[in-house]
Amino acid sequence: MQTVACPTCGAEVTFRSPALPVRVCDYCRTLVIRDSRGASKMGEAAVLPFDISPIQIGTQGHCFDQSFTIIGRVRWAWDDGAWNEWLMLLADGTHGWLGEAMGQFMVLREVELSGSLAQVIRRLMNDTPVQPGESGNIAGHSYEVADIRTVRCIGCEGELPFTAPIGWEAVSVDFRNRDGRCASFQKDRLGPTLYVGHYVTLASLQPRNLRLLPGWSLPADVA
Amino acid sequence: MSPEDNSVRTLSCPACGGTIAMRAAGYTVTLACEYCGTLIDATDPDARIITRYHETQASLAIPLGTRGTLRGVEWEAIGWLQRSDGWAIWEEYLLFNPYAGYRWLIAQNGQWTLGMMLTAAPQRDGSDMIVAGRRFSPFYSGNTARVTRVAGEFYWRVKVGEQVRASDYVRPGFMLSLEQDEQEKSWTIGEWLAPREIRAAFDVAPPPMWMPGMTPLAHQPSPYARRIKGWWPIAALSFLALLLLLTLFGRAMQPQTFAVTAVPDGPAVSQTFGPIVLPLGRQAMTVEATTPGVEQGWVDVDVAFVDRKTQDSYDAYALNEHYSGRDSDGYWSEGSRSQTLKVASLPAGTYDLVVDVQAHHWGGAVSSVWDQSTESEKSPVEVVLTVARGARFASNFWLAVLMILIPPLLMLLLHILFENARMAQKDGSPADADDWLQGMQSP
Repeated sequence: MQTVACPTCGAEVTFRSPALPVRVCDYCRTLVIRDSRGASKMGEAAVLPFDISPIQIGTQGHCFDQSFTIIGRVRWAWDDGAWNEWLMLLADGTHGWLGEAMGQFMVLREVELSGSLAQVIRRLMNDTPVQPGESGNIAGHSYEVADIRTVRCIGCEGELPFTAPIGWEAVSVDFRNRDGRCASFQKDRLGPTLYVGHYVTLASLQPRNLRLLPGWSLPADVA
Repeated sequence: MSPEDNSVRTLSCPACGGTIAMRAAGYTVTLACEYCGTLIDATDPDARIITRYHETQASLAIPLGTRGTLRGVEWEAIGWLQRSDGWAIWEEYLLFNPYAGYRWLIAQNGQWTLGMMLTAAPQRDGSDMIVAGRRFSPFYSGNTARVTRVAGEFYWRVKVGEQVRASDYVRPGFMLSLEQDEQEKSWTIGEWLAPREIRAAFDVAPPPMWMPGMTPLAHQPSPYARRIKGWWPIAALSFLALLLLLTLFGRAMQPQTFAVTAVPDGPAVSQTFGPIVLPLGRQAMTVEATTPGVEQGWVDVDVAFVDRKTQDSYDAYALNEHYSGRDSDGYWSEGSRSQTLKVASLPAGTYDLVVDVQAHHWGGAVSSVWDQSTESEKSPVEVVLTVARGARFASNFWLAVLMILIPPLLMLLLHILFENARMAQKDGSPADADDWLQGMQSP
């Protein structure tokens, strides 16, 4: 854990992850970047719109055979909706994403875009258009393209592996397979990235410290 | 009220000004004003109008905002759709719980189904589909479901007229539906809700009891299948009880034999035997009256059990007769020399058996054959009476068995009618015995 002073407001900004470079100041929403010399300012993060997600920074749970803590979030929007990607700091020091869309959850981890890649992935990397329903093999499993969207970042909080300025745009392609596995390809100004994982239920994460929502009680299986 | 005190956001409908609630902020992308039906872009901070409508408020069985607990989870009804495939019209309520996501509550013909979207596709096996080890058979295919009315909030860009191609697979109590458009395929599994369950959750009118002539849902479990199955233990127990009663009380015990002799055409003979002790109340008695010697005549046998204490009398009567001869067809005989009398329901007590016997010789038409044997036929006739406690009323037994079987047979008939009505909607072949059996499966 490392604590620096916010370059804008001077408040304490704590990095819980040893590896992640970016942290949104909880007070002034400045995007703080740490480096060997200290911390610098890299613009301002948008205010997150109100949502009633049951997850919050500090929620803990269990997945990928280890425990995790939620340390950050990016909210993405497209023309017909928006979703959250919560950053999980895993017990082994690596990180993963807990995606939350349409009331469903999925856990994803980044895989390297190297070696022999499915044709559909190579075409996506070359900006060649692909269609929903096209299939390809990713990390040993067969997937189908579920949808292709142009998305933009509409807000972020906590610690992040990248800066997420307002209006940052990316191409996002979701893959699904018939066993409940999913994959996500994203290409933005930083280049292409690929994530694989699977659908989960909130209860299966054995969550603790969920966000308490006024008017709702925690269900018995996650309480 | 600060924003954090309430999970519900409210806004004014930009078309009619009505106050509308947003209960799933962050998820909801389309709001349909529940007053005028106008579709509003919920992702736009200015609540932009997508399509303006001027509809009157639909009266919903479950008003939006109503909460109910189903399967241990509290759900809030936040959206409502009316859909049609050109044949049937049904309604779908979108249920929401921030910790459990979304479910569908589908109402058709007064029946309710709880639907959940699957995150993994089912496995195909021939024409069947398998989800978590459960097999679903194809029922409808290639229908086009169209949205006809909307109210409330949705996590996608719903619009009136929106169409999907739908295929349905069923097993009793469950329906597996595939909906697809150009963009995506989605699988939903629906579970039929028992009337008690849906009423307890959302206080809706109880679904009508199925009657012959009504169209059941494709996946509605036969209400008779469960009852037939529930009846077997009752029938088996009743049958066992019947057998037990039969052996306990119906067994003929301690037979006693008495004999009376009477001369044909002589005086009536009256004799009293006893005592006969009946320790248990409401017992039946069997008296077997045998007249081995009667020939060309008849014997009237009157028996009466007379309670020594009360002098109550329980009577029975037998007529034993026997005739024989020889004519152009050869030897002939008719009549019976033995009869079994049953006297039902004697109270406990000590009884005398009073027997009156009168023997007669057949003397109407005198034939030469009979004249020759007149002397032997006039010899005294012995009546042997065997008295036993208990009597097997075989006819009663079978009547009881029939009574036990009538309800399940009636229910089986209704079950077949129900399954035929259900399967009549299916694409392809009509229902057969195989379908009736499948309909008996537990949900």
